Amino acid sequence: MSAFKDADEVYEYIGKMFETATQTPSFVEATEGTNLVVLLKQTSPDATMLIDFPKQTVVTGDAALEGKHTVQLRMSSDNANKFWQGKLNFTLAMAQRKVKLDGKRSTALKLLPLTEDLFETYRQRLKESGREDLLVA
Amino acid sequence: MATTEEFQPASIDSGFDEGMSEAEFAELFEKAEELSQYFREIGPEYDTKNTFAFPSIEKFKASDLGRLQVPKRFGGHGGNLLQTSKIVSELSKGDSAITLAYNMHYIMAGMCLGLFSEEQNKYWMGRVAHGELMFGPFSEKRAGFSGLADMKAVPQEGGGWKLYGKKTWGTCCDAATIITTNATITDAEGNIPEDFEERVGAESFFVADFDIDRETDQGDGISIKRTWDACGMHATGTHTIVFDGFYVPESGFVCEWRAGAFGVLEWASLMFASIYLGMMARVLEESREALAKKTLGAVFGAVVAEDVKVASVGHIIDGVGDMAYRYEMGRRVLYQTIGEVMSGADDDWPLELRFPYIGLAKTFIADNVMHMTKSAMSLVGGQSFRKGAIFERLYRDSAASLFQPLNGDQSRTYIGEYLLQPEELED
Repeated sequence: MSAFKDADEVYEYIGKMFETATQTPSFVEATEGTNLVVLLKQTSPDATMLIDFPKQTVVTGDAALEGKHTVQLRMSSDNANKFWQGKLNFTLAMAQRKVKLDGKRSTALKLLPLTEDLFETYRQRLKESGREDLLVA
Repeated sequence: MATTEEFQPASIDSGFDEGMSEAEFAELFEKAEELSQYFREIGPEYDTKNTFAFPSIEKFKASDLGRLQVPKRFGGHGGNLLQTSKIVSELSKGDSAITLAYNMHYIMAGMCLGLFSEEQNKYWMGRVAHGELMFGPFSEKRAGFSGLADMKAVPQEGGGWKLYGKKTWGTCCDAATIITTNATITDAEGNIPEDFEERVGAESFFVADFDIDRETDQGDGISIKRTWDACGMHATGTHTIVFDGFYVPESGFVCEWRAGAFGVLEWASLMFASIYLGMMARVLEESREALAKKTLGAVFGAVVAEDVKVASVGHIIDGVGDMAYRYEMGRRVLYQTIGEVMSGADDDWPLELRFPYIGLAKTFIADNVMHMTKSAMSLVGGQSFRKGAIFERLYRDSAASLFQPLNGDQSRTYIGEYLLQPEELED
């Protein structure tokens, strides 16, 4: 059973983290001059997000499918929750097909090390929202 | 280990990062041609002696080729992947076994440039720019490209790690003074993580001084065990490196190994391909030389009993043409692969196929160089099989191409797995 109840919860927590990332200076610098737009398709529960790094916007739901993307990322919502807590080895997850990454991904992969600085932010948000159930030991 | 404050490369100017110009490359290539000629002269001796070609160290350093791909801002020449490949092939044309040792330096310098922090690059690449060589033993008895490292990095109370284990392919250990390697970080008691995911995350990449007494092969917690005795590539000197409490300070930690290696594997695979492309050129050259001159006496079955020039015999003509065809195809596959990687076109390949698609340049060339060395012996005849004949050596040396990553089996497995995998996520 998934830790997230529905797509709205996914957008509330995972979507917000991507919003934070798009506005974080290190991400802004790393994606400046690129056309990196990630279409994130999550499963269990199903949720879709279009993360436009140059424009620093995150669109959720069906509207996300209408925009153009350069990279498509697929993973379960539980793995997205683990990822933002630093509990998912992304390289291994790709090798094990827990994560699928398609398209122009070199810029996207360069962002991975930058996410480390946001893991604590995510965990803190979960605690402040009383969602300790989402914390991964 | 010295700190960056104690050691500064010749010129650090972070604003100066341009590559090598064609004129600069041409000048350096001339030096490669000279060195290749030297390798060609001493190669047979060290193949027979079955040892690393020690006098080549001084010559290689004097050639100024060691800092080939080090960026100019760290004091190097700023050579790119293609320029490095061309230099490696030229050296290999002289002697592949000797070049294979220095190829290890190029592989690790290329990989490290992409994995080191800015501070590590300034320090270590600064040293390379000053003439030092680096190497990277990774294979273990039961670990390598796909197998996780059994070698342990045990955390020390005061910081840093002590490394314990054996690396079985220490190519270039006789010339290098900088070592890079991978090991799995353990708990304080030396236990490797039992959880698979944790173990993958704990496998780490390190860099350190390789300070060895060259008389005794002993260093502080590290030693060379002279085990290299193989079918071919004798002058490579690929010995076992024994780590027995070898200390690596915190500054020697580079990155998590598997995640890091993913983005820089081209330096290994494409440089191995360059070695065998150079060998292909040599096989073709030697075959032409031998077959253009060779004549036979009266041949049984010939119409008239007179000398036969083999260069006019159909299957010899076809055979030499076939070699040239294979060389040219290999050259194009290698340079096209390098071009796609350099231009970023590899971004269009499926992610899972990046390893095997880069690797297929090497596997394609490996298949063809082995075919060529066998064909050359057949065309030239029995004299090529005698010890000391160039063809016999090339035949043995080419067999090493079966092993360096990726090999043909690995490449095909990765591609097949990708093509047959279901669309759904594996959760």
